[in-house]
Amino acid sequence: MTRTNDIIDSLVADLRPVARHALARRFAVGIAAGLAISFLLQISIFGYRHDMPHAFMLPAFWAKSAYNAALALAAFFGLYALAHPDGSAKRSFLAAAVIFVAMVLLAVMQLSMTPAETHHALIMGFSTRYCPFFILGFGCPVFAANIWILRRAAPTNLRLAGFAAGLAAGAAGAWIYSWFCRENGMAFVAIWYTLSILGVGAIGALLGPRLLRW
Amino acid sequence: MSETTSEQSLKDLMLRSLDGDEAAYRRLLTVLRTLLVGYFGRRLGPAVKADMEDLVQDTLMALHARRATYDRDRPFTAWFFTIARYKLVDHFRSRGGRVMVSADVLDEMEDGFSEEAMSARMDVERLLAQLPEKQQVRLQGQSVADTAKSSGQSESLVKVSIHRGIKALAEKLRGTRDQDQ
Repeated sequence: MTRTNDIIDSLVADLRPVARHALARRFAVGIAAGLAISFLLQISIFGYRHDMPHAFMLPAFWAKSAYNAALALAAFFGLYALAHPDGSAKRSFLAAAVIFVAMVLLAVMQLSMTPAETHHALIMGFSTRYCPFFILGFGCPVFAANIWILRRAAPTNLRLAGFAAGLAAGAAGAWIYSWFCRENGMAFVAIWYTLSILGVGAIGALLGPRLLRW
Repeated sequence: MSETTSEQSLKDLMLRSLDGDEAAYRRLLTVLRTLLVGYFGRRLGPAVKADMEDLVQDTLMALHARRATYDRDRPFTAWFFTIARYKLVDHFRSRGGRVMVSADVLDEMEDGFSEEAMSARMDVERLLAQLPEKQQVRLQGQSVADTAKSSGQSESLVKVSIHRGIKALAEKLRGTRDQDQ
């Protein structure tokens, strides 16, 4: 019993005021750092994309960017909820599902407005062999940042928190990668980007209980 | 039920602790320690009672290290006992196959224990406050006749009010439960 008294003494002695948005700030710092490293990684691999001004004119470029950014945002909100012991991320996962459905609709629209002989290229693209690995690669720094954030937080469902961490990292990595991706098929994005992001999510779910235990 | 263990007073202590009030923090930890001894004591078999002190200390340290995850706008006891429950599940898990207690069993065990009763009183107060004035007949241990006398209503009116109040409470509870799910 006296040991508990000692511990209470030391905890009281160690008490520092906690800012109201301390956890949100940790999220902001972590995510910014993760994204910055991903971005540097991308620049160092691909260099400057010379047709960037041209890419900025393409609706497909923005659709890809918006899809991944929206998914990442939803996943980060879910992660923020799951960082609290009593948090639920149901709403965020629902939002992510809605974003995915919107992307599928966009893909169907594109396919319905284009000639059938282009469909194979719009669906299968030309980069399926390396695109998922770049998404995973650019997702890694963000995933590490998410784990860094969560290790000082209090997730109680470690597998789900790991999944959300992977999903957010995958979507953020995909967002970074999408600036260099030359695919124009919305169906390609809806299928291959989503599968890659889910893959990172699955890795997160696998690692979550191991990395996040407290 | 002493005043110091109500949701409101614990939350108050927590908020002051987050602002750096050491005296409040010491009181909070002391009260929580007692609550944890009860919480873990009921859930651990007699063979592992020795682990209880470890669990109590572990949970208090977790509260300390992760206090930034407490959202000031939400109930404190719910937050805290989720941490305690996590520590307990983790404890069972680390025992490996020896003591297999699934989360479901824990959920069943959760019903009707005192940390729930503690926040229950606060919940009842909150629910009552949401009811219209007329349904807020409080017996508070008195008989219907006494309540009627003190509130100046007839006995049958008191009974009707109580009945309506209970129905309204049940509906409200169903409502909040739906929101939770």
